[in-house]
Amino acid sequence: MKNIDTSRLKSIVGEENIKTDPADLFIYGSDSSVHSASPWVVARPANTEQVQKIMAYANQDKIPVVTRGSGSGMCGQTVPVKGGITLDMKKMNKILEINPSDVFCRVEPGVVDDDLNQALKPFGVFYPPTPASSRIATIGGEIGNNASGVRSVKYGATRDSVLGLKVVLADGSLVNLGARTRVEATGYQLHKLIVGSEGTLGVVVEATLGFVPIPKFRCLGIANFDQLEDAGKTVADIMGSGIVPSMLELVDNVAIKAVNKTMNLGLPDVQAALLYEADGMVKEAVDYEIEAMQEVCRKNNGFGLVSSYDAEERAKIFLGRKKLFPALSKFSDLLSSTSLADDMAVPYSKMAETARKIHEIAKRNNIIMTAYGHCGSGCMHTKILMEPNRQDQWESAKKAVSEIYEYVRSVNGTTSAEHGIGISKASAFKLEKSDSLNLMSNIKRAFDPNNILNPGKLMDAHDDWVTATDLRYMVA
Amino acid sequence: METRPFEPKHLDKWKSNLDSCIRCGYCYEHCPVFKHTRWESDSPRAKLIILYGLLAGKLEPSTYIADKIFSCFHCGRCVAACSSGVPLIEVFTDAKRDFKGTAFEVSGTTSITNSDCAACLTCVRACPHEARDFINGKIVTDTVKCQSCGICIDICPNNAASSCLSYGTNSSALKNEIGNFLEKDTSKAIVFGCNWSYYPDFQSSKMDRAPSEYKILINMCGGRLEKTLILEPLLQNGWGVLVACCPDGDCEHDGNVKAKLHVKALRDLLGQMDINPERLQLVQIKHGDKAGFQKAIDTFMETINKLGPLKQ
Repeated sequence: MKNIDTSRLKSIVGEENIKTDPADLFIYGSDSSVHSASPWVVARPANTEQVQKIMAYANQDKIPVVTRGSGSGMCGQTVPVKGGITLDMKKMNKILEINPSDVFCRVEPGVVDDDLNQALKPFGVFYPPTPASSRIATIGGEIGNNASGVRSVKYGATRDSVLGLKVVLADGSLVNLGARTRVEATGYQLHKLIVGSEGTLGVVVEATLGFVPIPKFRCLGIANFDQLEDAGKTVADIMGSGIVPSMLELVDNVAIKAVNKTMNLGLPDVQAALLYEADGMVKEAVDYEIEAMQEVCRKNNGFGLVSSYDAEERAKIFLGRKKLFPALSKFSDLLSSTSLADDMAVPYSKMAETARKIHEIAKRNNIIMTAYGHCGSGCMHTKILMEPNRQDQWESAKKAVSEIYEYVRSVNGTTSAEHGIGISKASAFKLEKSDSLNLMSNIKRAFDPNNILNPGKLMDAHDDWVTATDLRYMVA
Repeated sequence: METRPFEPKHLDKWKSNLDSCIRCGYCYEHCPVFKHTRWESDSPRAKLIILYGLLAGKLEPSTYIADKIFSCFHCGRCVAACSSGVPLIEVFTDAKRDFKGTAFEVSGTTSITNSDCAACLTCVRACPHEARDFINGKIVTDTVKCQSCGICIDICPNNAASSCLSYGTNSSALKNEIGNFLEKDTSKAIVFGCNWSYYPDFQSSKMDRAPSEYKILINMCGGRLEKTLILEPLLQNGWGVLVACCPDGDCEHDGNVKAKLHVKALRDLLGQMDINPERLQLVQIKHGDKAGFQKAIDTFMETINKLGPLKQ
């Protein structure tokens, strides 16, 4: 541990809320990414005042501070590359207010997404960004990443639901950003800037979030395709037709094979499947949207069309997609599923071509990749299945990742749709945003002149993500 | 006692599984140890990270680490939730094997025996895991075999069995929780929920307003609730007690049978004391039936609210 007065931290949060054992630090040095780097100390604040005191101390002594929710990030956002204090925000977990008439709720950053939705349910409303990890993901972490999920095609990402934030700045001062109103035109929308800033601009201590009514009707359908291009064209045609699906997911053949191999689900061995969903308060309107989407599927040679309003039937239809994540992890004893180049977004018209390109690049680099994702919001997920103990596999992965991002930029896509940049995607991010990096650095300096908030991330991250930190695997 | 150096011999075969873990963290919400401490480093994922650290030579073995490895109730919920199919319990058991006999071996949540032991061998006979034995005139626990089920603790007539770490599940911790909760004016009832049946359904966030009228306290098994503990909420001005346990045949310890006997006897006793026995109820809920459990609590609270406070 370097230059840390732990007794001072203990006096702020209490001795029982400080961890300094090497084992704890090693644990808090990991998240769901490939990276590993230990903090010097973990502190667990219980309230805003404690966060302010910690930040004032850290700023004075120029100690790095990394804010952490559940540590489920996939790009190394919470891996403290420069050491310092990791702020574990899980103790600030209160749902402070649910205000149905003003249509907002106020929560502390450690509230778990699913908990919030459970609390909102009796009011007939829900908080919509909900990523796949909602069972453990904290609102603070979702704000840090501008998280989104399967229904973001209709309801938007986290940024669209954040009305206001209370943020402790690097010097320990507290600012109230945004408002408790649906619209605001009062100067810079700094709360929107904080969303997706990955803990580099301040520590969120309270969020005011909008919510939407739970739809009375929800219908989910599936369509199979013998050509990936047909599925891709269907996505573009649906999104360009004025229909607003509440979910539009693509699963490619590699993914289908993985699910069948590991889960024995017996899904049709087709080149692609599309899952489409519509929801609303009026059944006829939902019927109309489902029928319209099915019509587009048929026009593009989709077959095996099935749809249902029944919750159990919907669960069956969605099972293949739901099991995909674990299926990829269990694909082979030798291969590990890694999150690299895992959430790019491309224009709808390029969706099928992107999936093809991903397979082509994977084959050329001797690794296995799959393509799936929330294509309704332009997001394409991938996983790289590789032998993580082989150095040459990391070289291959690095090359493949670089080629994929080069392609994504060439079609005016973007590096990350929902998982953020962190360490793993920093080099691609810097290439994509080269003309605005200087501006971003100036903004960072304005918020954090001593560069203590999550240093070494985004534009300050290492260009070679493989050597930026220790890898979490034993590489030979 | 002579010790041997720590060598990760048994752990070694799990290297690829430790790589397979994608560290998604989905195991957290299911782990009673994590739920009690709320420290990430007490989650199943953390245990795997530690074991990777030991195998990779990035961490040195210590009693601190051993305490984490030996702290597991073997409920297996993390295994069921694992995205990557890592057999966590098997990995942890092999880690315990590697720590056993070293200077770092600790007891964690496994059972220990104190000097009050009369060597009656009741615990040896009762242990379903063959973890207790009578050696050289003493009862000893095999910390690798022990699954921290607590049956020996419950059954010992001399109260000579216990565990060093209970993570809020032993009688004294539960008694404290009851007292702390029922101190509030808004508090009315205690719901005892079995660790094996209900715990995964409870999430971590808290509502700041409208404090709950009841508190759910997790115990190791309905059958392990002492009669005095079941009555404790009523002694502390609570309005009622709900004991939740598994349906018939579902409890591998037959703890539900014992819980039913306890509750029946106590309800009779309440009747004799002119206290409405409805203030103490037992429900049997199928594993994972979250809605059923909530419905049972709501129905119970309706009854309790109709009955009003115990002392009027």
